[in-house]
Amino acid sequence: MDNNVILESERLRKEFGALVAVNDVSIKIRRNTIHSIIGPNGAGKTTFFNLLTNNVEPTAGRVIYKGRDITRLPLHRIAHLGIGRSFQITNIFPNLTVLENVRLACQSLGKHNFRLFNHYQHFRGDEERAGQVLRQVGLTERALTPARTLPHGDQRKLELGMILAPDPEMLLLDEPTAGMAAEVVPEMIDLIRQIHQTSHKTVLLVEHNMGLVMSISDCITVMHQGAVLAEGTPSEIAANKTVQSAYLGGLGWRVVDSGQ
Amino acid sequence: MKILRDHAILGAVAVFLIAFPFLIALLDGQSIGAMLAGQSGNSKFYQGLLIEIFILAIFAISYDLLFGITGLLSFGHAMFFSVGAYTAGIALKSLKLPLPETLVLVVFAGVAQALLFSIVLPRVKGITFALVTLGFASVFHIVIMSHELNDWAGGDVGLQNIPKPALLDPANQRLTFYFVALALMLLVYLFYRRFVDSPTGRVCSAIRENEHRAQMLGFNTFYFKLAALIVSGITAALGGALHALYQPIVSPTSASLGYTVNALLIILIGGVGTLSGALVGAAAFRLLQFYLDKLFGESSSFILGVVYVALVLFLPYGIIGTWRAKKLEWRAAWQARWRAWSAARPRGK
Ligand SMILES: Nc1ncnc2c1ncn2[C@@H]1O[C@H](COP(=O)(O)OP(=O)(O)OP(=O)(O)O)[C@@H](O)[C@H]1O
Ligand SMILES: [Mg+2]
Repeated sequence: MDNNVILESERLRKEFGALVAVNDVSIKIRRNTIHSIIGPNGAGKTTFFNLLTNNVEPTAGRVIYKGRDITRLPLHRIAHLGIGRSFQITNIFPNLTVLENVRLACQSLGKHNFRLFNHYQHFRGDEERAGQVLRQVGLTERALTPARTLPHGDQRKLELGMILAPDPEMLLLDEPTAGMAAEVVPEMIDLIRQIHQTSHKTVLLVEHNMGLVMSISDCITVMHQGAVLAEGTPSEIAANKTVQSAYLGGLGWRVVDSGQ
Repeated sequence: MKILRDHAILGAVAVFLIAFPFLIALLDGQSIGAMLAGQSGNSKFYQGLLIEIFILAIFAISYDLLFGITGLLSFGHAMFFSVGAYTAGIALKSLKLPLPETLVLVVFAGVAQALLFSIVLPRVKGITFALVTLGFASVFHIVIMSHELNDWAGGDVGLQNIPKPALLDPANQRLTFYFVALALMLLVYLFYRRFVDSPTGRVCSAIRENEHRAQMLGFNTFYFKLAALIVSGITAALGGALHALYQPIVSPTSASLGYTVNALLIILIGGVGTLSGALVGAAAFRLLQFYLDKLFGESSSFILGVVYVALVLFLPYGIIGTWRAKKLEWRAAWQARWRAWSAARPRGK
């Protein structure tokens, strides 16, 4: 086993009826890198993510995390392995406060989940950690508002905060800037870069914003119709003829994604 | 500060309910001595009505924990209550067990039902869970009425002639029964408050909000739902036991869908997921039933339906839920007025 590889997919495949959404995809994600997956709408990026974290059961193939087969691991075990996953469609607890959203994320990996007779505030550590995370993602001021009342961009940040809270080794981010107003996108990008640099987390990123992808990634995988079209460093991808022709040949790239 | 105020209201209600039998006796011109001796009169009558409310409240709050807090919709909740009632009745009557042993048995029955319901938890969600639990309750409903169990459960008439422990006989120790039922309701309420604020209870709320996210954060949601089911099952079974001790008869209809719907109505009236709404709702529900019955006789159930619809329309978050929302609005309005007033006031000397 290559010690540098943290997460690996082996001929991962998903069929929805006749549609092959993910077609035998094998990729390796190296430790402490930012690895991006790009591709046109419907290329299978989200489905691929769902296979990695067992949100969708694969038709065939395996997922290996740190040398261990995690293909059909129950959902709640994923976080315990140190993997945090955000979703393309914001996935938070809408009627709980922003602080409580993050505090629960801090509580999840602790040892006091079944203390029925203690008040949750008795466990100070969770709240302190939650406060730190809120500062990190810049939501301290909104701590006591219900999560659903946050503007969309802040909800994206909140979700990022929730997966950062337990200090995972690896982040899987599905279009973290999706639906964000153009002027707040750079904040998100800086946040991701900063997280990567300060705590050396491995980041697997699906993103449509080409500017972001090119500037931030160590490695890029291009998907098209469920399969891997190309893989390489940003400059290799930019120079790649197949990708260029796919890109220019109008395969439906959302070129520079801002509002959408 | 908020905790203090919460408990202040609870304390005031408790004091009022403790004083209530005495107040009614005073208003009625009955001497306290006669009232304490359990002589009939308005005080004894209203004690009875309140005991029914306390039992309903215990039943409804256990439903609120499942549905309002954890988001588990059960249509078989009446079974939790009914099994508690039948277990208590059969233990006292046929097994001739003393009360403490009976109550231990009732608690076990509550846990056993929770475990039964939990078998299907990993497989079914939402409305399917509701229907499966309805199935469980219907089976119980039929079994308990069956001929084979006639000697134990009394068939479709119900379980009668349950021997009442001398100290808790509702006929001549009603005041004691009243205080026991009141104490149990308040204890359950306080325990539930603590439960929803415990780390476990917070996860239950998170499951109601978004179970998938809770799982992805690393919570094995099954165990949290199981915890809610067990707490709820024990509570409802104890409520049922109290019902068996208080009522002259335990009817099989206590396991029917209608009985579950009562719990649902009560928390809708009081405020879903508020806990205290179950208590307020139980009082509103039983008092409405009682007075409308008195006023309109036969047609009261129709009027009751109209009142429920009106309540749900005008108080969509229930009594407590609406009150909480309005309280914030009122406070904001007050603060705005205060600011306007202090701004208008001439500054300085
Ligand atoms: N549950 C499902 N059932 C059937 N088809 C599905 C399902 N989920 C995804 N698909 C199909 O699989 C294909 C890949 O979808 P996927 O969401 O993975 O693409 P994507 O690359 O994430 O696209 P986008 O950029 O729009 O997010 C699409 O054609 C989609 O319609
Ligand atoms: Mg997608």
